[in-house]
Amino acid sequence: MSASATLPAGLPTATPGTYEVRSSRKFQWGSPLTYLIALVLIAACIGPVLYIVLGGFRTNSQITEDPSGLPAPWVFTNYTEVLSSESFWIAMTNSAISALGTTVGVVVLGVMASYVIARYQFAGKGVMYSLFAAGLMFPMTVAITPLYLMVRTLGLTNTLAGIILPQIAFALPTTIIILVPFLRAIPKELEEAASIDGASRLGFFWRMVIPLSLPGVITTGILAFIAAWNGYMLPLFILSDPNTFTLPLGVANFASQYSVDTAKVLAFTSLSMIPALIFFSLFEKRIVGGLTGAIKG
Amino acid sequence: MATVTFDHATRVYPGTERPAVDQLNLHIEDGEFLVLVGPSGCGKSTSLRMLAGLEDVNGGRILIGDRDVTDVQPKDRDIAMVFQNYALYPHMSVADNMGFALKIAGTPKAEIRQRVEEAAKILDLTEYLDRKPKALSGGQRQRVAMGRAIVRQPQVFLMDEPLSNLDAKLRVQTRTQIASLQRRLGVTTVYVTHDQTEALTMGDRIAVLKGGVLQQVGTPREMYDAPANVFVAGFIGSPAMNIGTFDVKEGAALVGNAQIPLERSMVAGLTDADAGKVTVGFRPESLDVVPSGTPGSFQVQVNIVEELGSDAYVYGSLQSDLGTGELSAGDSDQVIVRINPRDVPMKGDIINVAIKAGHEHVFSASSGNRLG
Repeated sequence: MSASATLPAGLPTATPGTYEVRSSRKFQWGSPLTYLIALVLIAACIGPVLYIVLGGFRTNSQITEDPSGLPAPWVFTNYTEVLSSESFWIAMTNSAISALGTTVGVVVLGVMASYVIARYQFAGKGVMYSLFAAGLMFPMTVAITPLYLMVRTLGLTNTLAGIILPQIAFALPTTIIILVPFLRAIPKELEEAASIDGASRLGFFWRMVIPLSLPGVITTGILAFIAAWNGYMLPLFILSDPNTFTLPLGVANFASQYSVDTAKVLAFTSLSMIPALIFFSLFEKRIVGGLTGAIKG
Repeated sequence: MATVTFDHATRVYPGTERPAVDQLNLHIEDGEFLVLVGPSGCGKSTSLRMLAGLEDVNGGRILIGDRDVTDVQPKDRDIAMVFQNYALYPHMSVADNMGFALKIAGTPKAEIRQRVEEAAKILDLTEYLDRKPKALSGGQRQRVAMGRAIVRQPQVFLMDEPLSNLDAKLRVQTRTQIASLQRRLGVTTVYVTHDQTEALTMGDRIAVLKGGVLQQVGTPREMYDAPANVFVAGFIGSPAMNIGTFDVKEGAALVGNAQIPLERSMVAGLTDADAGKVTVGFRPESLDVVPSGTPGSFQVQVNIVEELGSDAYVYGSLQSDLGTGELSAGDSDQVIVRINPRDVPMKGDIINVAIKAGHEHVFSASSGNRLG
């Protein structure tokens, strides 16, 4: 009654008691240009991977006749042969050990170092943080020769420890740079409340810091894992015994050994990508969460 | 249960010269609710944090009961603290938050559960025990913070502005709840706030601090009726007390056109430093509207009238033929008069008011201390 009186003349009044369900969630198509760019980028990213995976299902003659064709007929022997070969599984095991070892080392050392830098007051704290940050500007390529000499002096050539240790060292800068702001964001009151509740500084670290920084820890762990999994140059210098080869080395070795058998090389390559791919897609959301997330009370 | 004693407790922050808390002497009785109040930066939170063990004590000592805790770790002081932002552990459920201290102390699980449930019942939190703090409203979080303190059954509760993150209505409601809860549990409580209304309504006694120095301790009534100095007079009470400095002539203060007679002892208390002036304060409700020409009355020009239903306040300026003295209440530069809400003057009117006999507060103009 009173509501309709305030409406401008000529407008119909809404029928009381009825609700029009507006489909506000209706899908909105973007501009065609957006889709074009997106499709081009996706094609550029997926194309080579798809070529490698599909190539593994073809024979060498198929590849020679029509390099860009689809498998016809589909051949599975390439994959089964690679899967039954000993060198593939050796390389796979070595890669897994190297990547997991690196991840554990990076996470444990990274969290501890970041905690101290983020929450303790001591002289030289800023210098130490900058030192770690400076590590980011120090590519492994530059350091590879002295690094090799050092590893050799330590007697770690041809061992997985010889690649795990440098990989941890090179992953620490990123880890610390991601984790320090994360740990700094834990409110001071939380630490005070915990100390009144009876937690020691170490107790606070275990019971509060670790659980609260878990998203950041997972992110840095995944980054370290993938970097170690894909690492090529360091293993190339350190490892020369095929029994210690990691997957990238194994792929290269296999490729030079079976250079005529392109299809098999493609099968080997695509199989070696799978674990990292699975790992990444499983934790992809967590990675982003760890980069953006801070602790909210 | 225990008493708390600050004995010349002093805190100097590194890099500063003036102590944040200067020679604080304060004795809090067993089971008492003491409110530390003052403007921001007055050292009230620092005092509390010294008692909690979160700040070093640079001089003097602090006792809980008969035990000197000056150098004791926070966890060994048998205290519980409620923080302004509650400091709930975000990754733990409400029950785990409340039982955390007991868990660290190694209390058996069944007992933790039982004590947490008891506290939750008192605070009406039973149905939220399995939630994370994130999924609670502000008021519920505040209650969890209280619950965390209660579960420990400490000797002393410390509360650092626990209500300042709540909205006005909830604050008033929770204020009463906390006060009645404290009476029920009978635990000695030190409560920090900047809100003098909170202080007056909750505390058994109030301690007013300013610039790290204790100004006055007393019951709310004492603080209101007999403020020890100009600062306390202006700080306690809402609306604030009208305070002004006036000339003294023939044993009376000249307020506007009125002469407020002073007691002989007050006049005798004046020193050369006062230069023949005296500071007089009177609360808005100590004024009566009187017919013009009444002896001892002065005139106030009405600038604004605030009607609160039960009361009405006139904000105005002092009219004076002599043009001497400044009279104002709190931070405003106006005189506040409480008037009958059924008989409200118009803006611009001039009303005559007189101070009720014996309701004026007289302070030394130079030192600010109460005279007589």
